[in-house]
This record gives sequence, C-alpha cells and structure tokens, in this order.
Amino acid sequence: MNRRYPYLLLLLATPVFALDTERCATQIVSDAVDHWRGLSSYSVMTMVIHRPDWERSMTMRAWTKGDERTLVRVIEPKKDRGNGTLTDDDTMWSFSPKVNRVIKVPSSMMGQSWMGSDFSNRDVARADDIIDQYEHSILSTEEVDGKTVYTIESIPHEDAAVVWGSEVLRIREDHVVLAHAFYDQDGELVKSLVSHEIADMGGRTIASRQRMTKADNPDEWTEIAVIEIEYELELKDSLFTLSNLRNPRE
Amino acid sequence: MRILIVLVRLAWRYLWRNHRRTIIMLGAIVLGTWAMIFMTALTRGMVDQMIADGISAIPGHVQVHGQGYLDDPSVTRSIPLSDEEFAARFADAGFSAWATRVRVPAVITSERESRGVTLLGIDPAAERDFSFVDYGAVDGRFLESPEDSGIVIGAKLADTLETRVGKRVVLMSQDPDNDIADRGFRVVGVFEANMQAFEEGFVFVGKATAQKMLRMGTATTEAVFVGDDYRNVEPVYDKVAAGVGDAVTVSRWTEVDTYLGTMLKTMDGFVLVWMIVIFLALSFGLVNTLVMAVFERVREIGLMLALGMKPAMILGQIIIESMMLLALGLLIGTALAWASIVPLEGGIDLSAVGEGMEMWGASSVLYPKLYLEDVVLANVVVLVLGFFASLSPAWRASRYEPVEAITKVG
Repeated sequence: MNRRYPYLLLLLATPVFALDTERCATQIVSDAVDHWRGLSSYSVMTMVIHRPDWERSMTMRAWTKGDERTLVRVIEPKKDRGNGTLTDDDTMWSFSPKVNRVIKVPSSMMGQSWMGSDFSNRDVARADDIIDQYEHSILSTEEVDGKTVYTIESIPHEDAAVVWGSEVLRIREDHVVLAHAFYDQDGELVKSLVSHEIADMGGRTIASRQRMTKADNPDEWTEIAVIEIEYELELKDSLFTLSNLRNPRE
Repeated sequence: MRILIVLVRLAWRYLWRNHRRTIIMLGAIVLGTWAMIFMTALTRGMVDQMIADGISAIPGHVQVHGQGYLDDPSVTRSIPLSDEEFAARFADAGFSAWATRVRVPAVITSERESRGVTLLGIDPAAERDFSFVDYGAVDGRFLESPEDSGIVIGAKLADTLETRVGKRVVLMSQDPDNDIADRGFRVVGVFEANMQAFEEGFVFVGKATAQKMLRMGTATTEAVFVGDDYRNVEPVYDKVAAGVGDAVTVSRWTEVDTYLGTMLKTMDGFVLVWMIVIFLALSFGLVNTLVMAVFERVREIGLMLALGMKPAMILGQIIIESMMLLALGLLIGTALAWASIVPLEGGIDLSAVGEGMEMWGASSVLYPKLYLEDVVLANVVVLVLGFFASLSPAWRASRYEPVEAITKVG
C-alpha cells in the first residue's frame, strides 16, 4: 500500500496540473490580446501588400474599444481615401465613398481577403476569438534576451468555426506576440504572422512591425507597421456607428 | 369476303414477282422502324434517368416551403409548421416517404479553399429511401442521427477543398436575424453521386445540428413527400395541400424544377415528331416504289379492268400491297429493335463524353428504355401514314382507261 501511494498521488495530480497549464496558457493569450488592444486605442498604421510583380501601401487610422468594436479608415493613398471597415462583435460592415454605400459583409465573404491583403475579413473581425474558441497549452518556454518566451499551441474546439488544425503563438512575458503561425489539419504550416520590430509606443512595448506570409509563397506578404499608437483614450460610442462609418466626424 | 381473299392473294403474288424491289423497300422500312424505336428507347432512357436523378436531388414529388422560399431560399422563410404538426397530419397519409429538412445556401471553407454549397440539414433515417446518396456506399460513414455533429460532403467537393474524412471544415450561413451563423464540422463521410453537380453542390449535416447552428429553433425550411409515381403526383399533391393549409407554398416537382417538368412534357411530343420525321423520309421511298410498281403493271391493270374488275378493287389491291409491305417491314423492324435494345438494357457506358452529358443533367451511363406505347405508336404512325401515302398511286392505277392501258406500249 505504501509503495503504491506515490503513484496514486501522481495520478491525482496530473489532471490538476494539466488544467492549470491550460488556464495559464489561456491567461497568457488573453493578456496578449488585451495588451495589444487595450481598453481602447487609436493608431495610425501603414499596410504594405507585396506580390512578386507589384507592391502597394496604404496608411490607415484605427480605433478600437473593448474586445469587440473596431473602426478602420484609409487615409492614404488618395484613391482609397475614406474606405472604411467597422466591426462590432462578429459583424462587419464596409464603406466605400466611391459607391457611397455601407455594405454588411456577408458570411460568404468573411473568408476573403481584407482590402486585398493577406488578412481575411475574419482575421480582422474576430481577432479575439482566439481566446475562447480554442484549447491552449504551453508547448515550451525559453529565455530570449533575458525574457521568457512561451510557445503556446492553440487547438480549436471541435465545433469552432475555425479551419486551422492548430495555431502556434510565441508570446513574450511582457505580452508581446512574437509570432503567430497557422497550421492546417495535417500539421503543415499555411501562413504565419511574425513580428519583425518591437518598440515602446504609447506607453507599452508592442510589436510595431508585423508581417503575414503565406508558407507556400514566401514572395507574397502583407506587412503592418504601427506609426503611432495611443492607449486608454476616451472614445465615444458614437464613433463605432454606421453613420460615422459613412460620414466621418472627427 | 371472297373478293378480299382474292385481292390479298393477288397482292401477295405481285409483291414477290419483283422480289428485289420488294426486299429493298422492305429493308428501308425495317431500318426506319428500327431507328424510330431504338432512338426513342435511347431518348426515353436518357430522359427517365435525368428525371429520376433530378427528382432525387429535389427530392420528393411534392414539396412544402414557407412563402417566398422558392424565390429566395433564406432561413427567414421557414415553414410555420412544427415537425409534430406534420407528423400528426401525415403519419397515416400513406405516402411512401416524407421528411422535413433544413435547406439553405451556405459557404463551406477548408484551410485552402471555400465554396458555395447547399446545406441540407436532414434526419438521415427519414431520407434513407429517397436520398441520392447510398448510405452504405459512403466513404467513412453517413450521418447517424439528426443530432450528428459531423458533415458528409461529396467526393468532388472534398477534392476541391483538399479535405477528407476526419478533417474539419467550417460552414457559414446566416441566421434569421441576418447575422453570421457558423460552425466547425468534422467530415465523417464522403459520398459519390452519379452526377458531379451533386457531389459539388450538396453537403449533409444533422437536422438538429443545423437548426442549432442557424439559431432557428426547431423550424424547418422544406418538407418533402414521395408518392408512388412521379408521373402522377396529383394524389400526393391534393393530400398535402389539404393538410397544410394556406400559410405555406405547396408545389409539385414539375414546379420546383420547371426544367425537368417541361422536359417530361416535351418528351412525349418529341417522340411523335421524331417518328413522323423518319416516316416522311421513308414515305418518299414507299410512294416511289408503289408508283413504279403501278407503272410497270399498266397493261395488267388494264387487262383486269377489261375483264370486269372494278376500279375500287384495283385501288384496294394496291393499298393491300403496300399495307403488306409495311406490316412485314414493321414486324421485322420491331423485332430487330427489341433484339438490339434488350442486350443494352444493362446500360451503355458513355463516360468518354460523360462531362458533356452532365452539362445538361444526364448521367454518364445510358439505360435504354423500351416502352410498349412507343412501339405501338411507331407502328400505328407508319401504318396510318403509309395508308395515306399509298392512296395516290393506288388512285392513279384505278383510274386507267382499260383500252388505253392495254394498248399502251412498254
């Protein structure tokens, strides 16, 4: 009896331990999302869409409030000026001044590219799904430049509306996401978002330049660089409305 | 009566006096009859198959939808009747099968591709008998219950999406509030259908699972009823229409798929036109042969007239001759057609041109179908039209002046 006792203890301890690392991993992921978005934020970014034979860049302003509301508006180049995207929870609207119409992005288009980039509409509208639609577990931890980096594997729930087999995130202890890789269900890398520059901006340490690359086509990528960012501003709810999407007031 | 026997005997002898001409003519008639019946059987087989396939996709001979659903198949236009109400009204109605289902347009996405499809939320047990999917032949397994959390997709779609049994895909559609409704499904089965369009266009999930995903409670968008005979759906239609009331649209399959419905109607007309066209070609040969025969026998006919045969008898004799020729040809032609169709009833494999056939909804194996009424129609058409065609030479023969005819040289 005495001899068996330690094994029993181990058996009892294992699920508790597993639960704990899972909670821990989920916490790390949700902290990273909170860190990036803040309670509210305002930023100016440039997005470079690169293809083997052409490249274009856009500058845009983005406002976020809470986990759910985002407004993005293009300011450069001139021909795209005024194009906007508003998301509220899972719903997404887009506005183009050329046609002067607000369009609710239908479910059939959620998988399509957002403004011609390598991000899909879904990537933009549902960035926070990563927290509750997945099981997270820590694969490994390592020290890089004196800071702990967690590698977290996130596997979508059975009925989650996610096509990926798994996503692997590398998150630094100060909540900066270093890399976010998307694997298919055979474990093959499909695309990855890698942070190329990390900087102190708006009072936080954030990934200031991130690049999304398709694994089977390294010549095609989209890069987002943050030019300026401010956190914890007072943003009015009226900012995130369809009428503001159509007629900017600020 | 005796006169008739004499006429028949005379006609029979004349027919074989110039047997080469008769045999050539006989050959033409046999070939024509064979072509009429054989081609009709082929087209019949093809159309029957198209309709059978088409109905299996609709499916059901009579369908019930919410108002406006047929024009805009959206989840908001569901049927305002619960499954229990349907069961209460139709459980004992004597249909060979019926089912309620969720049918909405959706988008299916894998890691690499996305496609528009028709989402069918079904109760697998209720549809086993009339589904175009053979549950047993599914790679993997078919759905097992309305609550099944898996999805069954077509082989062609699985190829396009680069997915297979065991992997997950995401379905997206809209809920009744026009918000996005989506959910991940694991592919539990891949089916093969005899039509590629089905493999690409339909995905099956459990009815209850679909209702939960689309946040539509226990509502359904389609009820299907199968009767005994797809050519006569009126009894089913009347029963269903009487049972469901005015709040829904009841339609026959010919209205749901007007293309197929029109096709069925056109087919009967087409068969007749086809036979007449062949006969017209045939009739020139027939009339020509008879006219030649009459010309050759001017002196004989004159002699018979001089001996006291009445013009009406001459007329009758020529007509009997042509009728004999036709009857003989029809007999051989029909027998030949039957003999050539029976061995082919197992199906003619047309997969070499299968893709083209599919474009208009036919499958790549053709099963000729010999209908008794088509055979009868072909025979009647030839006999009736043949009678009229032979009237002119016969009339001409009976109008000869005996003296002129006998003295005619050559």
